[in-house]
Amino acid sequence: MAGQQPPSEPPKDDAPPPINSSGGWTAISYLIGGMLVWGGIGWLVDHYLLGTKGIAMGIGAVIGGAAGVYLIARRLGA
Amino acid sequence: MTGQTLTVLAADVPFPPSVEDFYLPSIVPWGGHADTWFTKITLMLWLSVAILIIFFMVAYRKPQLVPSKKQWLAESIYGFVRNNIAVDMIGKEGVRFAPYLATLFCFIFMMNLWGIIPFFQISPNSHIAFPIILALISWVLFIYLGFKKHGVGYLKIALVPPAPWFILPILVPIEFFSNFIVRPFSLAVRLFANMFAGHMLLLVFTLGGFAMINSNALLAPVSVLSWLMTIALTFLDFAIIALQAYVFTVLTASYIQGSLAEGH
Repeated sequence: MAGQQPPSEPPKDDAPPPINSSGGWTAISYLIGGMLVWGGIGWLVDHYLLGTKGIAMGIGAVIGGAAGVYLIARRLGA
Repeated sequence: MTGQTLTVLAADVPFPPSVEDFYLPSIVPWGGHADTWFTKITLMLWLSVAILIIFFMVAYRKPQLVPSKKQWLAESIYGFVRNNIAVDMIGKEGVRFAPYLATLFCFIFMMNLWGIIPFFQISPNSHIAFPIILALISWVLFIYLGFKKHGVGYLKIALVPPAPWFILPILVPIEFFSNFIVRPFSLAVRLFANMFAGHMLLLVFTLGGFAMINSNALLAPVSVLSWLMTIALTFLDFAIIALQAYVFTVLTASYIQGSLAEGH
């Protein structure tokens, strides 16, 4: 009886909170979201402000894509 | 003889299948198309709820130290969601979300499972209304939890990434879009599209077999191959059914974890 040890493995509830393990979905939503949001804003600018045929949308999508990549690096990078 | 029977059966098989095939005639009133108060989909929804309630009540009625088969199954399902999803994703605090996550997992799994149960063979989740409501519940939950835990500061945690101030105007709209709009949308669409495509595939291979044997008797071997593919695809569908229930639950848990996490 005296030699009885508590279970060596700690109960699971005490484990430290894990890092966000659904990073893949987050990364995809940043990439697509970036292009959609800023491409969309660019489209609005094209359509209602400048009357151009899509130059602002193109620039917006590029900026949005770059911002999405930057966000992934900041949020998900080590 | 068999060929004749098949031909008679296949006489008015519509091909290719269309979205119309997802809108089945209603049960009450019988065969109606406009007054759809109670359809097969409704029936399966209530059956899912009833089956889950009865199963878990019976399984836990007289809990024993050495569990019976039913109790073992119920405990395994709950234990899996509690330990492998709730605690693994959210951490120590996850235990209090285990009931919600387990309910979500079982309900989605049961609703998806109708897609391959003989004579039912369509999942209610192939109508986007069901995934939308489920996604909305999870969406409201994680936003509510965020505000409850951090107050208004939740907006800063959710929307403002660690970045120099002059880039923030570009980043904040993306964060808003990705965290509050894409999340519920992708939850709903992922589940819906998988169930829709699964049903569509089975329809194409089943009805396609009939269509081919109908048009030319020489195509009969290909028809048989098509029906064999239906059986194989049913097994594939089962894997997708379980996987989608798991993915929905895991992502919900991950969003809850994001709301509860300390600031970055």
